[in-house]
Amino acid sequence: MARKQRDILSVEWIKLELIRTAYATRGGLFTIMDPRAVIIWYAILAFVPWFTHNVTVLAGLFVLGAISVVIARVGPLVLGLFIIGLGFEIIYLVIASLMFGGNWETLIALGVLNLKLGAVSMASMAAFVSLDPEKLSDALLSFRAPHLLSFGVSYGYRMLPIMVEEFNTVFDGYRLRMMAPDKPGFLAWRTIVHWGKMAVLSFYPIFLNTAKNVRTTVEALETRGFTYAQSDPRGRKLRLAYLRITPLDVAVLATTIILVVGCFWLGAAFPVYR
Amino acid sequence: MSPIIQVSDLSFRYPGAGADTLRNVNLTIERGDFVAVVGGNGSGKTTLCKTFNGLVPHYWAGDFAGEVIVDGVDTFESGVAELSAKVGYVYQDFMNQLVRPTVRDEVAFGPINFGHPDHAERVAEVMEQLDLEPLAGRFTWALSGGQAHTTALAAVLALRPEIVVVDEPVAELDPARAHEIYRSLQWLNEELGLTIITIEHHAEFIAQYTKSVVLMADGAPVWHLDIDEAVNRTGELAEHGIPAPQVVQVCSALGVERSPRDVDTAASLLTSRGLTAAPVEFAARPREARCVVAQTVDVHHGYKTVAGDVLPVLRGLNLELYAGDRIALVGGNGSGKTTLLKQFAGLSVPRSGEVVIDGVNTRSRPPGKLSEIAAYLYQHPQQMFLKDSIRNDVALFPSGRKFEGWEAIVDEVLRRVKLAEFADRDGRGLSGGQQRRATLAIGLAMRPKLLLLDEPTSSLDVSSRDDVTSTLADLAQVIECTVVATHDMHLVAEWANRVIVLEGGEVAADVDPRTLFTRPDLLTRARLVPPQVVMLGARLGMDPLPLSVDELVASLHAGANV
Repeated sequence: MARKQRDILSVEWIKLELIRTAYATRGGLFTIMDPRAVIIWYAILAFVPWFTHNVTVLAGLFVLGAISVVIARVGPLVLGLFIIGLGFEIIYLVIASLMFGGNWETLIALGVLNLKLGAVSMASMAAFVSLDPEKLSDALLSFRAPHLLSFGVSYGYRMLPIMVEEFNTVFDGYRLRMMAPDKPGFLAWRTIVHWGKMAVLSFYPIFLNTAKNVRTTVEALETRGFTYAQSDPRGRKLRLAYLRITPLDVAVLATTIILVVGCFWLGAAFPVYR
Repeated sequence: MSPIIQVSDLSFRYPGAGADTLRNVNLTIERGDFVAVVGGNGSGKTTLCKTFNGLVPHYWAGDFAGEVIVDGVDTFESGVAELSAKVGYVYQDFMNQLVRPTVRDEVAFGPINFGHPDHAERVAEVMEQLDLEPLAGRFTWALSGGQAHTTALAAVLALRPEIVVVDEPVAELDPARAHEIYRSLQWLNEELGLTIITIEHHAEFIAQYTKSVVLMADGAPVWHLDIDEAVNRTGELAEHGIPAPQVVQVCSALGVERSPRDVDTAASLLTSRGLTAAPVEFAARPREARCVVAQTVDVHHGYKTVAGDVLPVLRGLNLELYAGDRIALVGGNGSGKTTLLKQFAGLSVPRSGEVVIDGVNTRSRPPGKLSEIAAYLYQHPQQMFLKDSIRNDVALFPSGRKFEGWEAIVDEVLRRVKLAEFADRDGRGLSGGQQRRATLAIGLAMRPKLLLLDEPTSSLDVSSRDDVTSTLADLAQVIECTVVATHDMHLVAEWANRVIVLEGGEVAADVDPRTLFTRPDLLTRARLVPPQVVMLGARLGMDPLPLSVDELVASLHAGANV
């Protein structure tokens, strides 16, 4: 088969999708909101589903989640993984419940749990796809999360593209230099094993290289007052000075609360229990 | 002038180390000086500079004796946080120094941490001084080398230090960019009165920009001299691994006592002595150009960007590489050099057009098979060290493919690059020059027809660079065709027999090295800085231009005999 340049479902594509997701480059409603409001919004949608067994309410919340995913412009990679994950979960549940002597009843009960998890997952996707590292770390800081956690979040985001790039480079090195199996084998199992092996082996040089690079980072943090800021509250105040709750934030939160209450009202009017 | 740094009887030993890294250092640095700290590997340059901002002994706690006074503060009594307001530090691997996602946030990080209420003004001020405003919103991981270095410098300046230490700025940057960085340092020194300290290997930068030189050896300064005096100590500097700049070599070969600091001075020194060049027949660099090894046919390629559109990198390349070619691929950042190398290696295939290597279309084989014909070596040696020892790294390719007598091949290759005694060490622990030679060994053991190298001499000191250049010259016997993507004009002048200049993904010129240097327009567009000896030759009106010190000297000798 002749090789061609692929723009979708290639390593390059995964790299770009990760960056687009992490840095909220697609825009969407939640990216223009105050990050604290986004986190509160997320907290509402992530907690509420756990307080009910009413399928009508859960279905309503699931729909709310789906709408948020559309509004937040979640990318195809994350969404695809979610759908595949949910799909496999359902197939697995069917097989497991039938094998262990269950019946369709147990399956439906487990399906309700899936509905719950789905609603929460979609809210998470919508919220975290919309928060770039800066905003997320500042929001955490303003909620009095430990200094190290909020910095860790933003530093992790900064390292992500570099680590992905490094992984890609080292993996390519293995592709060029390690002998691939002569024959792909049944269902290409040899090739799959070979790729798995290269992926695992790639971590060895990456760990060593990163360990070496991070020494400079730690020294640089020290010289630029990172430790100092942990004992001096002025820095925190300056960093968070730009955060403002706007009418938009209030409107979005109010709408969400009304819709959630609406779901419960609907659930009370047409209850379905399993 | 008053001293800003005063070091007396300083000794320091890292915890667990067997010997002192710094031994009885006595040194005074005046306010407003521009100091180059020079010396061989392990002479204690970096450790000395880390005593100025208190990283030694407060972060690196070891045996500390003596006294360091910085701007009136005893560093032992103070701390890193307080001293950082006085001393800024830009690291050699400055990329790892950037800790925030965007440029503006990076610059603001220090002032905000220290709770300066005027942080916004400070940030705006340095961003303007260093022309960073257009990059303010860019992600730090997406910056080019020069932009990242400027950002690191700005982040340090935002704390308004009196002293800035810059560790080997030239190492990771192309020459044109390195000159820009040095010019901003010079501006900070002259206009704002900051004291600048650089750790530097390259004599031409030292001679051109600094005001004084500290030579370190075995953990203590040998001397601290004014630059005019320091450039005349060429013998001593060369002993400590800093060969004299080419203009100084030319002058001393001709018996001129005064050492010039730059090309202009050298030219006027020589003309004032009545030395003129006579045309001399320079040795030609022959190319056979008969048998095609690799070929591109109307190759177009590009990458998807985060925004979703395709950024074109190569635009319709038609090239033929012949057996016997030693090609230097030059051009500015983003001109497509690395992309073209990766196309030849078959790591990716073109969006349109064909790449054919040794009769094989790259579309027809996976990269693992193509690497048997074309070997690609990355720019950063670290990324090529996949195994726990050099020997295993070199053996990975030939042993996996069960080459006949692969053990012998590995031994032979290691011997050829002079690394036999380090064969069982992890590559990461070697010096810069050894690392590059180790990657060359990896490439050689693949026994390719086409060897592709990405910046093999970047971030090397002068003597390791010469080592790599001569190893490359040796390879001509075993490799049919070598392509080197590079900014290093010394490599071009001394090694290449064909130069391909890329600009915006197109071939701007395909010439021999001597012709390249006669085209100033090309040099500027491709961000190239010719070696000093070429510029001096041009200044003296030579035609053809000399490519080495020997050629220039020979031609001046011939002129003197007329």
